[in-house]
Parts: sequence; structure tokens; C-alpha cells
Amino acid sequence: MIGYVPGDSLSHRLDPRTKLAVQAAFAAAAFAHTTPVGLAALTVLALGILAASATPLLPTLREYRAFAPFLVAAPLVEGATLGPPWFVPGDAVFPALASYRVVLLLLVSTAYVRTTTARDSRAAIQRLVPGRVGVVLGAGVGFVLRLLPLLRADLSSIRDATNARLGGERSTVERIRLVATTGLRRAFLRSDRFALALQARCFAWNPTLPPLSFSRRDPPAFALAAVLVASAVL
Amino acid sequence: MATTTEPVELVGDEATKNVARAAVFAAVTSATAPVSMTHPLAPNVPITLQTLWVFLAGVVLGPLWAGVSFTLYLLAGLVGLPVFAGGASGLGVVLGPTGGFLVSFPLAAAATGLVVHGVSDLRAPADVSVPRLVTAMVVGSAVIYAVGALGFSVNQGVGVVSAVATVVLPFLPVASLKVAATVAVVRSDALVAR
Repeated sequence: MIGYVPGDSLSHRLDPRTKLAVQAAFAAAAFAHTTPVGLAALTVLALGILAASATPLLPTLREYRAFAPFLVAAPLVEGATLGPPWFVPGDAVFPALASYRVVLLLLVSTAYVRTTTARDSRAAIQRLVPGRVGVVLGAGVGFVLRLLPLLRADLSSIRDATNARLGGERSTVERIRLVATTGLRRAFLRSDRFALALQARCFAWNPTLPPLSFSRRDPPAFALAAVLVASAVL
Repeated sequence: MATTTEPVELVGDEATKNVARAAVFAAVTSATAPVSMTHPLAPNVPITLQTLWVFLAGVVLGPLWAGVSFTLYLLAGLVGLPVFAGGASGLGVVLGPTGGFLVSFPLAAAATGLVVHGVSDLRAPADVSVPRLVTAMVVGSAVIYAVGALGFSVNQGVGVVSAVATVVLPFLPVASLKVAATVAVVRSDALVAR
């Protein structure tokens, strides 16, 4: 599973907002230039971004192997026809390029995920989205981060308990119903206690955010993002 | 060290409760994502229970907060929390083959909530008739598959027909199982007095 890895690479020291900008600009450029030449240039850039983020290439690719069937199926299905000649290679070219584009985007987003703490991302969200909407989204992502391990443990104990009573032998609908009913009960219990705790601790519309600041490393990265966006638009 | 003072602007009780519920639903969906069950017809296609929680959020939280809940889910995944199926995260996943489904969740949760509750006050889930529940989930599923297929078509550069053949048709039998399971959950005592 891909997550934050502590380190002191160039990406680790960039502001999260800069990294979000580079990521979005890379995606825009990749969609605008889904051609062999464009993707070759972006491959070089993606490898550079991986190097600057201390992110290894092959283990990262291995993490995303679940996507492989879809990436392979897309060009095959698009190229197939119902009748002779059964397969038109010309139709499969663009989907194949698009599948490769997905691989590049996965690599670049992994570089972000591995070098940015959830706390920094949450602070970036709240600074980028104005007003109360930003507070709800920022605080909400922070809550999800903290609730995730609890609910994961809840659901896995529900499944263990069901399996211990031979629940695994039941039909699919019955198993889904059991997990969901018990899961829902736990979720309500957690959310009621959590809401009470938030009220007791004065949950406010103007919370103190973790500090974020741009350094002298950020302007060059922003310039890169600007060049990518310009290449996509022009 | 510089200090600043400003009055604390408390979040109201109702909003606090809804934010907490929205976050819990986003988290429970993420917790379910790695708990996948195997497709009864094709054993290599995993069924994730994410869409079940999309429906339940619509029924329990209503259109607005169900939408907020799955926006949180999407955002949490975008910034790197391991919430998507298989513990994946990041912008690359959202712009990948299954990204359309992730984007559809906030819309589908809101659509389900809208059919169940309308735009007025929330009603008790136990009071909603079964035909209305089923209609709501069919509408929710339609949104999920439409946006999911559109996302596959855009992200993979294939036509709409190929997208439907690859990511919609193989999953339709399972979708009906989830609708049946959700109706059973909503009618169970887990939702009494909520």
C-alpha cells in the first residue's frame, strides 16, 4: 500500500500546494499531448519527478498491478470488431497511448503521496478552498484520516466474528447484509460519540491550521507547472 | 513569538453532528474498500462494497450531507489516504480506468438521497416505502455506471460502447445483489430511531 514515507528529498521539502499544482499541470499536459512524442517527453519528466521524490520505479509499478487488466483490455476491446477482420490495429493505438498515460499519471501521483503528510495536505486543502466549505473539507479529511483505522478494525472484527460462526457459508446477499448492518450500527455509535467529543472541544469554523510556507525551492517548481499548463493550452 | 487573538466561532450542534456522520461514512466506505468479496460468476472480478455505502449514505444522511460525505472520500483519496479500492490513492487513480466510478460517488449519493427524501426535511429511513428505496438505488446505480463508463471512455480514450462492454456489463448482476442487500439493511433494526 502506498503512503507517506519520511525523507528529505527535494519533493519532501516543497510546499504541498506547489506539488498539487505540478501534479495537476502534469495531468493537463498528459491529456493534451497523448501522442508518442508528447508521452516520451512526459516520461522523462515523470522519471525526473520520481528521482526528486526518492520514489522507486519498479515497486511503484508493482503496487498498481490491479489496474493492468483494465489497461490491457481497453485497447483490445476498442480494436475488436464484430466481423472480419475482427481486429483493427489502427483503432487500438489511441487507447494504448491512453493506457500508458494512466501509468505516467499513477507514477507522478505516487510521488506526491509518498512525500506529503496527510496533515500538510489537509492544511493545503483548507487554504486552497475558501470559506466554510474549505473548513468542512479540510476538517473532514482530517477526521477521515483518524477514523479510518478504527472503522477498519471494526469491520475486520465483524468479519472475523461472522466467519467464526460459519457466516462465510451464507449467500452473498446475506453476507453483505450482515457486514453492512453491523457496520452501520458501529458507524452510528462512533459518529455520535465523535460529534459529542467535537462539541466538548469547541469545534470551530476558525481552527488553527498547521503552518505552511513557500521557500526558495517552490518558484522553480511553479515555473515547471506553468510551462506544462502553457504547453497544454497553446 | 507573535500571538493573535480572535473570537472562536463555534460550529452549530446540527452541523457538527452532520460533519461527524459524513466523515464516519467516508471512513467506513474506505474501510470496506479493501474488504472485497469475489464475484459469484467470474471469480477474478472483485466486488467492493463501496456502492452499498453510497446508497446507505443517501438514505441516512440525505442529499446534501451524503454528497459532502463522498466528496470527503474523494478528496481524502486524492491527497493520499489509502481509501480507494485495494488501498490505492492519488490523482493517478482518479484519472485512471476506474476513476469515473470514484467521481460518480458524490453525485450518486446525492441523487439517492434526493429520491428518498426530496428537498425538504429528512424522513425516517424506516418510513420510506420499498418501491421508493429501490427506485432511489436504481437511480443511484444509473449515475454510478453512467459516470463510471464516461470516465473510462475519457481516461482510456475508447468509445462509449467499448466502455460499457468493459466496465458496466460485467458488473450489472452484482449491482442487483447490492440493491437487495441495501433494502434489507435499511429495513433492519440498525436504523431504528435514527
